[in-house]
Amino acid sequence: MANNSTRRNFLKQSAAVATGALILPQIIPSTALGKGGKLPPSDRIVMGAIGTGSQGKSNMRDFLKLNKEVQFVAACDVDANNLQKAKQIADSTNDNKDCRTYGDFREFLEKEKLDAVCIALPDHWHGIIYSAAAEKKVHVYGEKPICRTIKDGQTIVGAVEKNNIIWQTGSWQRSQPNFHRGAELAINGRAGKLKYIEAGLPNGSRGIGTPPPQDVPAELNWEMWLGPAPKVPYRGVSHWNWRWILDYSGGQLTDWAGHHIDIANWGAGLEHTGPVEISGEGVYPREGIYNVPVEYDFLCKYANGIEMRVANESRLKMGSGTTWYGDKGWIHVNRGNTLTASDPKILEEVIGENEIHLIKSDNHWQNFVDNVRAGSKNTIAPIQVAYRAISVALLGEIAMTTGQKIQWDPEKQVIIGNPMASRLLSRPYRQPWSLPTI
Amino acid sequence: MKKQYLLIFVLALSLTFFNSCQKSAEYKALIVTGQNNHKWKESSPVLKKLLEQTGLFSADIATSPEKGGDMNTFNPDFSKYNLVVVDYNGDSWNEKTKAAFVDFVNKGGGVVIYHAGNNSFPEWKEFNLICGLGGWGNRTEKDGPYVYYKKDSMIIDTTVGRGGSHAKRHEFEVRARIAEHPILKGLPMRWRHGSDELYSQLRGPAKNMEILATAYADTTGGGTGRDEPMLMTIKYGNGRIFHTALGHADDGGGPALECVGFIVTFQRGAEWAVSGKVTQKIPYDFPNVAAVSLRPDFKEMTLEGDLAYIGTYDITKSTKYFTDLQSRIRYEAKTPQDYQKFEKAMIKILQSKEATDDGKKLILHELSWMGSDLSAPAIKDLVSNAQLKDDAEFALARLATSK
Repeated sequence: MANNSTRRNFLKQSAAVATGALILPQIIPSTALGKGGKLPPSDRIVMGAIGTGSQGKSNMRDFLKLNKEVQFVAACDVDANNLQKAKQIADSTNDNKDCRTYGDFREFLEKEKLDAVCIALPDHWHGIIYSAAAEKKVHVYGEKPICRTIKDGQTIVGAVEKNNIIWQTGSWQRSQPNFHRGAELAINGRAGKLKYIEAGLPNGSRGIGTPPPQDVPAELNWEMWLGPAPKVPYRGVSHWNWRWILDYSGGQLTDWAGHHIDIANWGAGLEHTGPVEISGEGVYPREGIYNVPVEYDFLCKYANGIEMRVANESRLKMGSGTTWYGDKGWIHVNRGNTLTASDPKILEEVIGENEIHLIKSDNHWQNFVDNVRAGSKNTIAPIQVAYRAISVALLGEIAMTTGQKIQWDPEKQVIIGNPMASRLLSRPYRQPWSLPTI
Repeated sequence: MKKQYLLIFVLALSLTFFNSCQKSAEYKALIVTGQNNHKWKESSPVLKKLLEQTGLFSADIATSPEKGGDMNTFNPDFSKYNLVVVDYNGDSWNEKTKAAFVDFVNKGGGVVIYHAGNNSFPEWKEFNLICGLGGWGNRTEKDGPYVYYKKDSMIIDTTVGRGGSHAKRHEFEVRARIAEHPILKGLPMRWRHGSDELYSQLRGPAKNMEILATAYADTTGGGTGRDEPMLMTIKYGNGRIFHTALGHADDGGGPALECVGFIVTFQRGAEWAVSGKVTQKIPYDFPNVAAVSLRPDFKEMTLEGDLAYIGTYDITKSTKYFTDLQSRIRYEAKTPQDYQKFEKAMIKILQSKEATDDGKKLILHELSWMGSDLSAPAIKDLVSNAQLKDDAEFALARLATSK
């Protein structure tokens, strides 16, 4: 664990290395954070960003909106243009030109000694880079879904727990009042005993056909962008649109699992378990390079008798969002501050002192910062619940891929009696990449 | 003329539909045509073929006199049939034929109204009750309301105005409104339809009518800005009517008629009209929101056909034959023997000298989850191929995870 002085020395060196000049950062970073250590409130949290595309930059801006809580000193991306933009965001806030830039996360993690890192990458990179950051004992604000496969997820959870780091998932709906209130009403039985939940996620979108291979833009390191995924020629699809290709994502289903499925789990007390049986069907594009399901509809049965249906919004009466159905009524939440119920009186209910009070956060990024300052792992979106949210989607994906009913053991986290389906719990990595053994 | 169609049909039968047509067809259909502002000489034989493909129907075509001809000579015997398909838009039928048609429906006969069929007979009250909605032919508010969707609500709009319009032909998205109806059950909720006339501003009595699917008539293309009804069912007397506004025919077919979305809803709608149920399975090439799916020859691809195309695949080509294979595995494989049947066929591609590396890559990724020890030797043989090394290792690594 780096102490204050060694870390400052290191930063001096790495700054010199990175910029090629002996310019010291104008703002000297705060103390490095030890295991369970606390950060004085006067000091800013020193952060870096890995992945500085649209979501990565958006997260940086959200952290910088906090009242001088955070300082970004380094950024890493395989796209030089995005990297420069991230540097500009950091430098203009720091009023200097010192934000260090990296094209390789390994060098970034080796050289930088940060309090925390904000990571926003295509899903196929999450297993390796989330684990690597945790192994460096850096606290992580990581984008959902936290993994592309169940195996990736188990590895990441293991790395976060082993290294005792503080984790916040980018499931920011948890920090919105309507989602919090709806979940709290549901978990306290205001719709009666919960029987059934629906999570409506966005419909798939149109394909782009089969664009021909083309030259990789000069600013993009395509080999590094692909990383552990199969080697394919560049066809003009990388940033953001990776979510329509199965090698990198499961589509809207996995993209939104960390929102409406996560909220569903929160309000149903299913945050630390998973379904025991999953079955359903997907509708897949017939051709074109976009191959994620454009429609999906599957049912998860839980050991306690609750059932959860996950489907694209067109298939559900309530459309997008989460709806908890109990034996006395229903409660529905969605984006746009939507909170409705079968009986409006449900929404006026007061939660008593001895009932369940879910963690409250008014700002998702502040909640992470507060926990880092306090040395507390009690964030509003910890890694374990993020893993359980995306697991629902990934098990649904396996049921749809195979056309089979899947039996899942949520304790041992294995598929029961189905070697074929079990193979889909992981994706082999392309050499030289491998998932770390934690 | 008829003989020619029969010959084509027998050929098609012997090639593709031999098994399903071994038993004699359960229902008899009559396609009424002969006058239309559309290319009925293209569409009617296709409709006949599509009905007979299901193995449920045998179909005849009743051709009316030409426009201005003596309609008193046009007296099809509807009573011999279970289904009447209206591919007709022309001179009024004689009173006897009209009465026979109404009687046919009243007694429980099935009807399919096809595309411009709904332009017919603006003055014939009973036909319009059977049709539900119609267009053109000076239809106005006197003929009934406009019926359409706005967001998630069906609107019955009595505004004054013309009945029937369409923007220039274009691809559009069809959206299911009653997904659990037997005709649509199991189909995607939304699919891209081949370039067609998007019938709009239809109006009519709309009695006992359900709208199964709509399409948004985009204002940027000159449309109404409404979700216009595309597929409807109507009950009249004891009869069931399926009404499809889709399927504009061009020379040789064209994308609207060749669209698998049109074909399959037509076939399912016809079965529902005669029986109230649908027994046909959903084909693997049904389109969805991602892209249009066409059958230029009006035939469904076979497994052998899919595999032959996969063997010639390169990354600039369509993956549709591979995704067909994936669907077949997903929906047909139930037992280990089923999986082995597919696996053996896929191994042949891996071992083929003619098959492309890109085709083999697709196969390797699919085998990685559904393969068995049977595939392992063929996959191992490909590790030494520099082009296939990564993908072969991917498959071997994943197959090994279940050991």
